[in-house]
Amino acid sequence: MGVTAREPDNFEHDEAQPSAVAASVVGLSKSFKKTRVLDDVSFDVGEGEALVLLGASGSGKTTILRIIAGLEHPDTGSVRLHGRDVTELPARERGVGVIFQSYALFPRMTVEKNIAYGMRIRGRPRGEVKEEVNRLLALVKLEEHRTKYPSQLSSGQQQRVAIARTLAYKPQVLLFDEPFGALDAQTRIHLRREIRSLLRQVNVPAIFITHDQEEALELGDRIAVLHAGRLEQIGTPDEVYNRPETEYVATFLGAANLLLGVVGEGRVALGTAVLHAEEEVARFREGQSVKIVFRPEDVFLSLAGQLPEGVRRLTNGVIEEKLFVGAYERLTVRLDLVARQPAGDGPPLYDVTINTPESRLGVPVFVTRPKPETDTTRLSVGDRVAVGLRSFRILPNYALSSERAGQVVDTGRK
Amino acid sequence: MSAAVPTMRHVRGFDLVRPFSLGMVILLMLPLVLLPLASVFVYGTGRGLRSFWAALTAPEAIFALQLSVVTSFYATIFNVLFGLLAAYVLSRYMFFGRTAIIVTISLPTAIPTAVAGFALLLLWGPYGMLGQWMPERFQFMFTPYAIIIANIFVTFPLAFGVLMSVFETMDPSLEEASATIGATRWQTFWHVTLPSLRGAVVTGALLTFARSIGEFGSTILVSGNLALSTQTAPLYIFSKFNEGQVEAANAVAVVLALFSFAIFSVLFFARDWLEGK
Repeated sequence: MGVTAREPDNFEHDEAQPSAVAASVVGLSKSFKKTRVLDDVSFDVGEGEALVLLGASGSGKTTILRIIAGLEHPDTGSVRLHGRDVTELPARERGVGVIFQSYALFPRMTVEKNIAYGMRIRGRPRGEVKEEVNRLLALVKLEEHRTKYPSQLSSGQQQRVAIARTLAYKPQVLLFDEPFGALDAQTRIHLRREIRSLLRQVNVPAIFITHDQEEALELGDRIAVLHAGRLEQIGTPDEVYNRPETEYVATFLGAANLLLGVVGEGRVALGTAVLHAEEEVARFREGQSVKIVFRPEDVFLSLAGQLPEGVRRLTNGVIEEKLFVGAYERLTVRLDLVARQPAGDGPPLYDVTINTPESRLGVPVFVTRPKPETDTTRLSVGDRVAVGLRSFRILPNYALSSERAGQVVDTGRK
Repeated sequence: MSAAVPTMRHVRGFDLVRPFSLGMVILLMLPLVLLPLASVFVYGTGRGLRSFWAALTAPEAIFALQLSVVTSFYATIFNVLFGLLAAYVLSRYMFFGRTAIIVTISLPTAIPTAVAGFALLLLWGPYGMLGQWMPERFQFMFTPYAIIIANIFVTFPLAFGVLMSVFETMDPSLEEASATIGATRWQTFWHVTLPSLRGAVVTGALLTFARSIGEFGSTILVSGNLALSTQTAPLYIFSKFNEGQVEAANAVAVVLALFSFAIFSVLFFARDWLEGK
């Protein structure tokens, strides 16, 4: 999953709340023909901050980017750049830097001329332009490619030219449209690092759009998760990953298991199992229907039935499937959440309908275990284990945006 | 241009179809294209270069060639400028009747050139629908202007087609990028759009020019075919041949053929450059 293998330095920015707002959108709505693509979306980007708009295709993220750039006009709502309302300004007067997915470098201009374009059309004196181009070429490390044409450059180099081209006119905000969409995994990781360090140098606020959750977690100081034109959650990577506020966020950012439960006194009842959660259920009333959301890597399995400190017991289960996927081991564990079939043909006491093909009783959950753990405790198919949770989220089981959109969440994704 | 050439590896043994089909193609091309063209050159130089030169430098011949070049030149200028305008408007704006306009513009390609000339005559001729209301000094049928108009009528779809296809396949983010960088529409057109159209402009111009310089069907109807006045090179060839002066006709024919070879070579060998690679 790579997500948990993040370098610790990425967390440094999580806490640093930006002081000044560089760009903000307020109540953006937009429809194309009769399809509503954006529904009342608002967010801010701080000075020097990197915000990632994360969403599947059709979530409206590209439309937001185009509205901020001035290439699209919102039906309602406004765009502010450094406190100034620019909603009615044409693209060319906004001073926004867009790095298009295709980079959109001018094919008949050399690298130098591409970078100089913004200053040239502003009629800057030649000496000044030359000096600035030299500075930017050095910044993006393309000095020896200055007289080449875009078609002679690699994707990464083209992207750096595109960034330098926008930096030349000191943009108020940089917008990246799926910046690594067309690249292979290796290059992608490399370029991500490059862009991050470049952004730190120039200290210009940036908005990225992507559908890749791993990319979002690595690039963003904050992440805004979009779904069907709505903003589901906005927060630091740590917040959206570890404390998702909606089912969609939980399942879109990494894999998540979902279990239905009912709130009791200081606990949640999941079929025959009971999960003690004094603090977590405080915001729910007794008898309320909830969903327990937890990540595969937050599940602890024990053959001996002994769970360490801080791990909360959920129930027992049987290992049904074991897959080796590189650095991880992936297990399917069928939980004993279902009471034994009552005598006669009465209905089962607890029935969870999660979108899995299994029709057997019991509830399958996915578990991942990192290598150190698999080395110390070997588990094999058929073993009975105690199942505990290192961390989990309790979400109300109603009016979920994913249900609004009429979708069934597949917990087995990834 | 390195499109993979399909091989016939799936055929076992000696491929009999290969020499047979290739031979058929060459045999057909010989009498249809190669031999007629060759005969023009063979005949033209058959009686010595001196008589060829004399035929070519006859005042009527020189005038006819000049008139062809000049009228084609103006038609080309018009086609490129208005072809750009039409292609820009029709590719950038969606409006009711857009398809109808595109079809109408492209229609002359399907109309026989004689019909085109005849139609112009019916409209602008001295007794034409509009022509009859025009004062005498503005009458332009049977003048070089009529030749230019006929050339434009016949060749405009060529230039338009080439330009339109480039406009439509152009990455829209180039122009958007230019706008976000801060360029005005005009700056964007001049610095970004037009350079991308460079090849299409040259191709469109050459196609128009090549087609105009050889235009016969419409020209003979609208020009009046007066020697030293409105006789273009193709009309000269036709007239001289009818008068039995085969050698005079042939000299001009050689020049026209060379013209088209030159233009065709540019289009063929500079294809990569023209397509912007």
